[in-house]
Order: sequence, then C-alpha cells, then structure tokens
Amino acid sequence: MTENNLLSLIIFAPLFGAFANWVYGGWFKQRNELVSGAIACTAVGISTVVAFMIAFGIGTPHQGALFADKPVLDQIWTWITVGDFRADFALGMDRLSGIYACFVTFVALFIHIFATGYMHGDKGFYRFFAYLNLFMFAMLTLVLADNYLLMFVGWEGVGLCSYLLIGYYINKDEPRRAAKKAFVMNRIGDWGVLMGMFLIFTMTGSISFFDKTVDGQQVQSVFTWVSQNIMTAEPFTWGIIFAGGLTSAALLLFIGATGKSAQIPLLTWLPDAMAGPTPVSALIHAATMVTAGVYLVVRSNIIFQYAPTAMWIVAIIGAATAIFAATIGLAQNDIKKVLAYSTVSQLGYMFLACGVGAFVIAIFHVMTHAFFKALLFLGSGSVIHGMHHEQDMRKMGNLKKYMPITWITMITGWLAIAGIPIWAGFFSKDEILYYTFSGKNLPNGWIAGDWNWILWAVGVVTAVFTAVYMTRMMVMTFWGNERFHDELPEEDHHDHAGDDDDHDHHEIPPDFKPHESPLTMTVPLIVLAFFSTTIGLIGVPYAMSSLVGLGDVNKFYDTLKPAIYKVKKEDKGESKEVKNFYFKKKAEEGKEAHDPDAIFTERVLAALSVLLALFGIGLGWMTFSKNPLKRMPKLFEQKWYLDEIYNKGIVDPITSISRNGLWKGFDVGFIDGTVNGIGNFVSELGSFVRKLQVGFVRSYAAFILFGALLVIGYFIYYAFRLLS
Amino acid sequence: MDFITENLITILILLPAFGALAVLGHSIFWNEVKHLKWITLGITFVIFLVSLLLLGDSTLSANGYYFEKNVVWIEAINTNYHVGVDGLSLWLVILTTFIMPIAVLSTWDAVEKRHTAFYVFLLLLQSAMIGVFVSLDLLVFYLFFEASLVPMFFLIGIWGGSNRIYAAVKFFIFTALGSLLMLVAIISLYYMHFQQVGFGTFDYITLLNSLQSGKLIYGAGSTGTLLFLAFALAFSIKVPVFPFHTWLPDAHTEAPTAGSVILAAVLLKMGTYGLMRFNFTLFPEASRELAWIFIILAIIGIIYGALVAMVQPDIKRLVAYSSIAHMGFVILGMFSFTELGMQGALYTMLAHGVTTGALFLLVGFIYDRRHTRLISEYGGLSSIMPIYATFFVITTMASIGLPFLNGFVGEFLIMIGMWSATILSGSWNKIAAMLAGTGVIFAAVYLLWMVQRVFFGKLTNEKNRNLRDLNAREIGLMVPLLFLMVFMGVYPKPILDASKNSVVAIQKIVNGETKGGTVSTLKVKEK
Repeated sequence: MTENNLLSLIIFAPLFGAFANWVYGGWFKQRNELVSGAIACTAVGISTVVAFMIAFGIGTPHQGALFADKPVLDQIWTWITVGDFRADFALGMDRLSGIYACFVTFVALFIHIFATGYMHGDKGFYRFFAYLNLFMFAMLTLVLADNYLLMFVGWEGVGLCSYLLIGYYINKDEPRRAAKKAFVMNRIGDWGVLMGMFLIFTMTGSISFFDKTVDGQQVQSVFTWVSQNIMTAEPFTWGIIFAGGLTSAALLLFIGATGKSAQIPLLTWLPDAMAGPTPVSALIHAATMVTAGVYLVVRSNIIFQYAPTAMWIVAIIGAATAIFAATIGLAQNDIKKVLAYSTVSQLGYMFLACGVGAFVIAIFHVMTHAFFKALLFLGSGSVIHGMHHEQDMRKMGNLKKYMPITWITMITGWLAIAGIPIWAGFFSKDEILYYTFSGKNLPNGWIAGDWNWILWAVGVVTAVFTAVYMTRMMVMTFWGNERFHDELPEEDHHDHAGDDDDHDHHEIPPDFKPHESPLTMTVPLIVLAFFSTTIGLIGVPYAMSSLVGLGDVNKFYDTLKPAIYKVKKEDKGESKEVKNFYFKKKAEEGKEAHDPDAIFTERVLAALSVLLALFGIGLGWMTFSKNPLKRMPKLFEQKWYLDEIYNKGIVDPITSISRNGLWKGFDVGFIDGTVNGIGNFVSELGSFVRKLQVGFVRSYAAFILFGALLVIGYFIYYAFRLLS
Repeated sequence: MDFITENLITILILLPAFGALAVLGHSIFWNEVKHLKWITLGITFVIFLVSLLLLGDSTLSANGYYFEKNVVWIEAINTNYHVGVDGLSLWLVILTTFIMPIAVLSTWDAVEKRHTAFYVFLLLLQSAMIGVFVSLDLLVFYLFFEASLVPMFFLIGIWGGSNRIYAAVKFFIFTALGSLLMLVAIISLYYMHFQQVGFGTFDYITLLNSLQSGKLIYGAGSTGTLLFLAFALAFSIKVPVFPFHTWLPDAHTEAPTAGSVILAAVLLKMGTYGLMRFNFTLFPEASRELAWIFIILAIIGIIYGALVAMVQPDIKRLVAYSSIAHMGFVILGMFSFTELGMQGALYTMLAHGVTTGALFLLVGFIYDRRHTRLISEYGGLSSIMPIYATFFVITTMASIGLPFLNGFVGEFLIMIGMWSATILSGSWNKIAAMLAGTGVIFAAVYLLWMVQRVFFGKLTNEKNRNLRDLNAREIGLMVPLLFLMVFMGVYPKPILDASKNSVVAIQKIVNGETKGGTVSTLKVKEK
C-alpha cells in the first residue's frame, strides 16, 4: 500500500481557493479582479502540479500512479462507521483516476485563465470564481474518492456547483429554471447511484474501490470481492434486470450515469444548462462533470463485465443518444446549443464504447473530447464575447475577418470532432467504431449476436451528422456575409433562452464591429488547440502506427489497460469464432497479438470513417455556404418535442394530483373534513344536550370526550376480563 | 460539584421551572418588560451549559443509564421519580437545551403582548420536554408528555397567527386524544404486572426486566398488540405519522416562530423517541408484527409530504409538510430494526431538529419584516438580502440532504438500513428503500422551487425593495445552527459513537435476540 498525503492537497487547494475568494469578495467586499482571478487560478494550478507529480511520480518517493500496480492512497479521516458499514474520507489515485485527475486539472486550469478574461467586468466576479473552485473541489473528490460514498459526495457536489453556476445570472428567469431542472434531473440519476451503492454494499459488504488497511482493519474492495466470488456472467433474461444481482447493480449505477452524463432519457437538462456563463459550459458541461457517468461505469467495469445484459443496454442507450442528439444539433441556431447537443452526442459515443467493452477507449474519448470540446466552447465564448453577447448564429457571419485567432483555433476543434486524422477526435472515435464493429471486447453472454454492426452503423451515421452540423456551425459563424444587423424571423423572438449576459438583451449599435478577444482568452484557446491536434497521438492504435513504420506506440492503452478487469473468456470458445467471423485468431494471453486480418479491418473502417467525415464536411459546406440560414426540419429544431412531452406527461400531472388530489382533496377535504364532520356532529349533539344541561360544549372537546370514553370503556372492559 | 453531578438531571428539569418562577417574580415586583427576555435567555443559556455536563464522566448504573436517580414518589401506587440518560436520550436532551436559547432569541422583538406569560410558558415547556426524555417511570413519563402540551397550546393559541385558535385546539385535540389511550395502556401494564408478578409497577426498568425474564407475558391473544397500538397511536400522532398529520401544518403555520422552532426541533421527536424507547422494548413481538404497517405509512408520509409540500403557496406550510416527509424517514429507519437504520433514525431526528428549526427561524425573519409568508409575495430577494439568501440556501441544501451537510448522513443510513433489513419478506425491504429514495428527489424539487421563486429572478414586488438584511442577532442565531449542519455532516462519528450501544441494545431487544436476559446485561458499555 502506497501512501501519499499530498493527494489531499489536490482537492483541498481549490476548496481553500473557493473559501479565500469568498472571504475576499463576500466578507471584505473587495472587488479587485486580479486578486480574485489569481487566487482561483493559483488554487487550480497547485492541484494541477500535484496531480501530475503523483500521477507521473515526479519528485515522489513512490512510483507514479499511472505506472504502478498499486494505487496511491491517502486516508484523511473516518467519516461514517455504523455496524459493518464503513465509509472513509479517503482518496486513492490509480491509473484510471490518475488520467482523470491530470486532464481535469489541466483543462480546468486553462478554462480558469480564460474565464478571467471572459468574466471581466462582471459584478459577481469573485463569486463566480469561488463557485468554480468549489466545483473543482467536488470534481476532484469525485475522481479521487476511494469508495462509492465519497464518490457520491463529489457526484452531488458537482451537481450543486452546476446548479449554482448555471443559475449564476440569478436575476434572469431562464438560468434559474435551467439550474433547477439540471439539479432535479441529476437527482433522479443520483437515486440510481444510491440504490446501486446499497445493492453493492449488501452484496459485497464493502463500498471501497481499493483493498487497504485502515486502523488495523482489513478493508476488501468491492471489485476484489466480485473477482473472487463471481465465476460466470449473469445470463440474459429480462428478469435478471430486477433480480438484485450484478446486472441490477450495474443498471442502477447506469441510471445515475444517464443523469449526470445527459443520456436518454435524462438528457434535456444539459442543453438548457447553456444558460450559464460560457466557461462554465466548457468546464462543467463539456470537459469534466458530464463525463462523470463514464467514469462511474469504467470504475465499476468489473461489475458491468459480469452483467452483459447491462452492457447491452448501455451500448444501445449510448448509440441511441448519440444519433438522437446529433439530429437536434443539426437544427439549432444558438451556437452554444449546437455544442451542447454535440456534447450529448459525443457522450453517447463514450457509453457505446463502454457497452461494447472498450472501456479504455471510452476514457480515451473522454480525454480527447475534454480538450476539443473545451476548445470549441471557449471558442464560442470568444465569439460571444466579440459579438457583444449575441449567441444566435443567424446574426453572425464572416467573423474570420475580425477574429482570426478564434477562427483558426476553432478550425482545429472542428477537424478534431469531425474525425479528420491526426486530430485528436479521429483516433478515439474511430477506435470506438472499430470495437463496436468487431465486437472484440464483447463480454461473455453478450446477447445481440451478430447484430452489433447495427450499433456500428448508427455510430457511423452519427459521425456524418457530426461533420455536417459542425460544418454548419463553422460556416454560419465564420464564413458568409455579415448578418449582425439582420432581423430574426418574428416567431423566434422569444428564443433568447440562452442569452449569456447579466444585462438585458440589447440592440447591437449600427456601427458595431466584432473584435478579437484579449490575450487571457486567446492564449488558452491556442494551448487547447495545440492539444486538440496532438493529444490523440498518445493513443494511436497499432493498425495506424504500423502504417508509418512505427511499432506499438499506444501509450494510452498500455497505461489504462491494467485498470480494466480481464474476465476469463473460457465459456466463449466456439461461439466467438462464429460471431466474429473476421477474427481467425484470438488474442494471446498477456501481450495483445496483432492479427493481420483485424488490422486490415481496422484500416478499412478507418478509411471509411475518414471518407464519410469528408463527405459530411463537404455536404455541410455545399449546403450552408450558399444558404447559411437554411431552415432545418421543425422536428429537429423543436428537439423532438421532448420537453413538451415531459412537461405534459410527467410534471403537470404530478403537480395537479398533488395540489388537487392530495392536498385539497385528501388532506383538507377528507381527513380534516372527517374530523370536522365528527366535530360538527358532536356539536349538533351538544346543542341538543345543551337544552338539558347548561353550558357550552366545544365541538372538539365533545368529540374527544366521546371518543376517549368509548375507547377507555373498551380498555377497562378488557382489563376486567384480564383480571377476572 | 458532586452535588451537581449527583442530581444533574433533576437540576436540568427544575432549572427552567425555577426560571419561570423568576420571570413571574420579576414581573410582579418590577414589571420591567425589557428584562424578561434577558432573564429567560440567561436561564436557558445556563441550562444549555449545565446540560453539557451530561457529556462528562459518569458512572454507569446497574440498569445501564447515566446520572440515574430513583426516588420513591407515591408509595401507594408504587410510582417512583426515576430518571436517567443513555445514548438514546442524551443527544435529544442536549438538542432541547441547545434549541431553547435560540427559540428565545428568535422572538426577541416579536412578542407584542403578555410578555410574562410567554416566557413562563417557554420555560415550563422546557422542563416538560427534558422530563419526557429522561423519565424511566411510565407514569412520570406520561405526566411530562402531557405537561408539554399545555404550554404549547397556549403559545399557539395566544401568540399565534390569525387562525390561531383553530390551530391550537386542533393541536391539542389530536395529541391529547392519542395520549389518553397511552394512559390506559400504562394502567393496564400496571395491573398485568400486579396480576402476574405480584406487585404493580410503572417502572420501565422493572417492567422490562419482568418481560425479558418471562415473568410478565402478554399471552397468545391480542393483548400485546392492543397495548402496542395504544402507545403507538399516541406517539404516531405526535410524530406525526400519516394520516395523523393534518394538525401539524396548521400548528406550525399559526405558531409564533419560537413555537414552530421548538415544535419542529423537539416536540415531534418525543413521538419517535417514545416509539423507540417504549414500543420497541416493551412490545417487541407486536413491533415486529406490525412493522410493515409503519413502513408503509412512513413511505406514504415521505412521498405524500413531499408532493403536498411542492404545491404549498405558504413558505411555512411548505416547511411543515417537509417535516412530515423527514419524520417519515425517521419512522422508516426505526422500523427497519437494523443498527444502520436505527442509528440513522436517531441521527435524522437530531439533524432535522437543527435544519428544520433553522428553516422556521429563517421564515420567521422574513415574516417579521413583511408579515406575509406567501411565496408569491416575494421574488428576487437575493439581491436585497444577500446574507439571508446565503443562509437560506445552505439550510435548504442541508434539508435536501446534500452530502457533507447533516441531513445526508441520517437519511443515507436509514435507506441503507432499510435496504439491508429483513423485517419484510423478500425483496420488499429493498423496494421500501427504493420508494423512500424517491423522497430525496422530491425534496430537491419542492425546496429548490421555493428558493427559486423567493430568492432568484428580478425583484417583482416593490414592497420588498427596502427590506433590511439580517441584523447581528439574527446572524448570531443562525451561525451555531449552520456550524452544526456542517459539523454533523462532516464528522458524525462522536454522535453516532455515543448512541451506538444504547441503540444496539434496543435493536437486540426488538429483534428478540435477548430473551431470558435482564436489562443489566444489556446495559450500554460506554457513552
């Protein structure tokens, strides 16, 4: 067991930063933006440095967490111990959380820097950074937690910060509605995490992620228990979902993941969350928090691998969300909404990867996506900043002339997400499609047979859509004619939902010219653009690297692979040959074999992907460069009417039943009515009695007397029977 | 000092009563209204400090209690003044003494009439409440239980809102009706003991020992069940368990702030405390047999309370309904009969006392300023009263059950306790936990919706433009509560450790794992 108390510094530095900013701005009422910004950025900077130190073993007495067999642990205090239940406030960094901690802190650092420029002049500058640091505390707690309960603390914490930051512009209606919606929808998912945790605890007697010794007590991890006690995967039946085994646990956890990562059916909060300031959208709603669901699934990968039914459902939900959100993304006019639906769609890809067993690739995509989506969001923030808080792409156009840095950096993001080789998104997305098609990592007992090519087809179509809508966004924003003063069609005037501004929507002055953003904003853009271009190179699969004469250079895969549990595949045997006809040879033990046929397949698929991406870009270019305002299908524009369906189908009935049925009907009508009725009856009786006796009998008093006498009489009768 | 530790509990019961006399005396001889609140505040604060001595060292009595005192009271009916604290009552007593100075301060300037009577009733109420939690003699317990009704009745009826008479009478009728049945049951126990063992007794410990050693048996019939129900009805109305809850919203809404705070923080806990202390140990079989009813009612309470809270137009009423939901959690945890669930239930009692007490305080602050509690009258307050808004949001988050705030620990333990329980057959334990878990979602809905409508958005009502933010007294009131919310959420260990042994002892009895023993073998080992 490796211990390093520095781990806690990663989470506590931002917490202290939040506190310091609050004291500085809230208590002493200081409004110096330089100080507030410096506090926040330094705090995250410390986290970043320490995270990289421990992850890579720089200047630490132990091996870096990314290369070690054992996690680096840090027991801070014992939080709850009741009976057999034990939850420590303890952190642990293994290969998975190490990767996460590194890219989260790194991306966050640059988003913080960007935000100091973007939020310049805002009244609540210190408050914004206090929340942002608080978010970092919660997010890093989520990632570094050494047990499910502490992870849940971070999980709820990021939800809270998301709530606070979406509703940051508290004086406006839309943000606060969106904030509440986000919190509540996340809570529905949280229910799943809680229940999943209960099930895991009752099954395994532990909620810990790592084997460890605390206070001389041996703590066995959940995953060790599963690997020692579960021998075969749970076969598919519909009943297994509710049987209370690993499948149930996996699916309950996945409910949580759908909430946090905006998957079907809990996806509608994320696009609304764009009402928050743009750096928040970049940090929380693109790069970090929304991928927590993927983290949860990958962290629990052993549970999922023994529950093929659950993985099947994860894959289907992922693929369905990917294409569903992509269709909506095609038709949005708000630049941030396009990116929001794109995020939902990309998250769908990540779950598709999890569902087909490519957990490593899922995390790879999480990481590349964190870079290029943060870049795209910050780029959109720069655009919005330059456009005086106009977010509607129909009022933009030809911005490349005014904002060259933003333009060029966003092009790299565009190429990355569209899947053009060597940009980051290409490698990760392509690997997902390859694993989906080949079924190489499918778990024992996967039930879809040969049909996983349908999932692959969905993924490919989504990829084309992605290229189209991103091209549309780029064209509408940076190319074409300048439409700054154009009037919008009448019907859309109410649609200022996501206006990212503290003051009311105002008319753009007639002599308006967009401007390039300051250095604090463009430097982070350039840094992120660099990584969006190159970060994919750490995970180049053999099929690609061998093309240019390199051997096995997939560092990412080698690093993360040991964190993924390897289920013995003994019971697959023959059927694997049949199912995956393109594999003649199975992977050997230990070192992965490079099967020539598989490499060929992978290359063909990759070529196809590139062609389709180019096709998508071409299609988008042809369509929108001529007519940037081309109307898209109404169904897509209205988001398949999902919000309306939820409101009419769920929210309204519950409210109405609560108000008219439960409260006014049952509480006031029935219970009080009954009590008062009896009271009135007795009172009537009383007024009758009053004629005989002088005195006023209060209805209630009479009622109680009557009732009590009756009951006491019965008891006395009973007591006498006992005595006799 | 020895005298104090020797008679600590008696001192705690009597101090408020003496305080009431002092207030009375002062008003007779000097009648300086301004002094009264200072006297009361001083006394309640001293009582709080004295009550902290309960945490100090003390020897464990043979019966398993600390600071136990057993003196003959009325020899003819063999009733003793028998008091003591264990892990179960310890924190409830401290909660009571802690909340009283806050309650006094909460209505610092809001009492407009009959000042003397107001403070006398508050202090008498405190005596009664402490008495309830420390009594180990059923008759003494009953007297304190009833005695707590009277001051509260007057607090609501005299200093309450516009509909106060209706609310006060409703409160009195509901709760008195239940406790009358309990009296009958207590007398039955006395006679049964007389009949079977040879002498009648009201002493809880004696009764428990007779039951455990098999000297006193209820027989095969429904006697045990009936007695259980008589006790349970009294406590269920107090909690209140659905469907006996309709007195609560009225009482809370009409009561003055101090009354609401005490009602929420302490009075409701008398019900859950009674169930755990008396029902579980005196009628373990009946408790187990009828647990399913309470579990169902608890779940209904959780969901029903939350749904009805959601549509309330009145903030105070909303908080009152949220109490019903929270107390549903407490009942659920207790009736899981697991250590996790019961510890969680006790913890939630304390957490709810702090959080809901704080919410009522906060509602009181705004009511003092605007004399309305309607949500629709507010909007955009956060820009006018930022400190108030911050406190309110933190308290709301604690009530929602956000981790690292106090509400979470208890509710989490309750749910995981229910999940791992065996009291219901098969998967029903898990289903019960899953249903209760939905309450966590609804809590977020109704509280955040309220917060959103009251605090965020544009200032919609011009009358709110000139509202003052919290003053020093109000901030001073909230700070200890906020500190406790965080402390109890982050470091629950000391509280849980202190109650562990007592709760486990009760859990063993109710699960029938101790048959043939006596209480002295079940005693708590350490505090």
